[in-house]
Amino acid sequence: MSSPAAAIVLDAVSKRYGSRTIIRDVSFTVDHGEIVGFLGPNGAGKTTTMRLIAGFTAATSGRVMVAGYDMATDNVEAARRIGYLPERPPLYDALDVSAYLRFVAKVKGVRRAALAAELERVTIACHLEAVTRQEIYKLSKGYRQRLGLAQALLGSPGVLLLDEPTAGLDPAQIQETREVIRGFGRDHAVLLSTHILAEATLICQRVAIIHHGRLIAIDSPSGLQRALAQTNSVSLQVTAPPDDLRAELLSLKGVRAVSMLPPDRDGRLTVECQVEAEHGIEAELARAVAARWDLHRLERQAPTLENVFLHYVADRRDESGSA
Amino acid sequence: MRGALAVYQKEMATYFRSPIAYYVVAVFLLGTGYFFLYNVFLTGETTMAGTLQNMGLLLLTLAPVISMRLFSAEYGAGTAELLLTLPLTPWQIVLGKYLGAVTILLLISAGTVVDLVPLYLFGTPETTTILAGYIGFVLLGMACLAVGELFSVLTHNQIVAALITAAVLLAFWFVGHLQDFQRSDALRGLIGYLSFARHFTDFIQGLVRTEAVAFYLVVSAVALTLSASYLQWRR
Repeated sequence: MSSPAAAIVLDAVSKRYGSRTIIRDVSFTVDHGEIVGFLGPNGAGKTTTMRLIAGFTAATSGRVMVAGYDMATDNVEAARRIGYLPERPPLYDALDVSAYLRFVAKVKGVRRAALAAELERVTIACHLEAVTRQEIYKLSKGYRQRLGLAQALLGSPGVLLLDEPTAGLDPAQIQETREVIRGFGRDHAVLLSTHILAEATLICQRVAIIHHGRLIAIDSPSGLQRALAQTNSVSLQVTAPPDDLRAELLSLKGVRAVSMLPPDRDGRLTVECQVEAEHGIEAELARAVAARWDLHRLERQAPTLENVFLHYVADRRDESGSA
Repeated sequence: MRGALAVYQKEMATYFRSPIAYYVVAVFLLGTGYFFLYNVFLTGETTMAGTLQNMGLLLLTLAPVISMRLFSAEYGAGTAELLLTLPLTPWQIVLGKYLGAVTILLLISAGTVVDLVPLYLFGTPETTTILAGYIGFVLLGMACLAVGELFSVLTHNQIVAALITAAVLLAFWFVGHLQDFQRSDALRGLIGYLSFARHFTDFIQGLVRTEAVAFYLVVSAVALTLSASYLQWRR
């Protein structure tokens, strides 16, 4: 899995604070031109992992490599290649927007001659044109978040670490921000933490799920969904006596469980069948139901990333509960 | 150096966009003006000795106010996460911030030059003695700010940083009084050497002694090194 060209490499990384272990033995890589989503419940270790990669904290054991540099020894050299948006946008309230961006650009080594063009590039990319002269403490939450993102984009770093980049934005801004990230992901490595599953499905090539400090799954969104295909469900709308219908459905091979909502005004039942991932089971269901009653609708539902996430997190909860 | 310079410029921009720098400058200049009037016009002596002595004490209370925000404010606002993940070494950050604080020190020193005007108008003060006094004042201030920066690196709370700094500085200022309680010559010597006030008095009397210059510079260097080391270690 680990290729030498990978932009971010975590190799058996753990982080302890005193006796508390925040991250346990986490290994994964992010390649150039790839956007990886980082999912996990609050307190799972997403932010700590981001901080380890950004060099804000050092790993207790294991190795973090960014752009070929070991964060334990060459973190300053690596930092030139990292754009980092922490969970809370790190803004100097007393400065105005352009003074703030100029400071970050200078530290990142943007040349004086290129400074104005670089500031303009990120200002436009993050839609900050209207507030460049404003003091940061006067900015709305959406602008603060976008200024944090603009700061991370300065100097075109090869690696972009974004901790909840769309938090606090309105739907239109979320859309725009995703476009910026998607555009950036084409030729950079992006690691993006989020708890919005739809976001991960939309813009990430791969998704890593972290829980209790452990990496419990990493795959493409569709790969994760496939892995859970055995919990597929089929939903039906039928006009039929509920008890007969339930008995009929349960008698079919491959149907594990049936749940029903009470009939609506037209007497239609909405039925949810948990089925095994066998091919052709929908056709069999349709034949059996349509032979006796009116079948209005039948639909196979692929698991959403939501289900996938809950599945993994719930599994782990059982494990830790029984341990 | 470019990194330290960028940090320095950022520091200067933030100092003068918050009320703290104005507060420090105003209190210091008003205080110094009062002491000057008291010392010169009441005693009729055309020297800066008394005023410089008081300026030193005033500095002990104001240096913590300048230094408290250096790092504590960055921790509090979450900007430390930016500063410590930018391509900057701990030394660049510590030095950039230190130079910003020292600039404020130089500004308030320059502000007191106004007091010299009546001194030269109505008397014949010794220029070299006054110059030595100012050198001592700036060196004392540099040591105080370095100590203050160290305590600001260590705590997230600005008030705590200021209080601990003030306590430590006052202890170093008055530690000389303990000399009288010591019988051992070595201990008397050591306590005398650690006294911020004793070295400062030398300067006020017109003596620029290598030992005194070295003392303040070593205190500054040690405090700054500890600050940079702490930043490295806390990762």
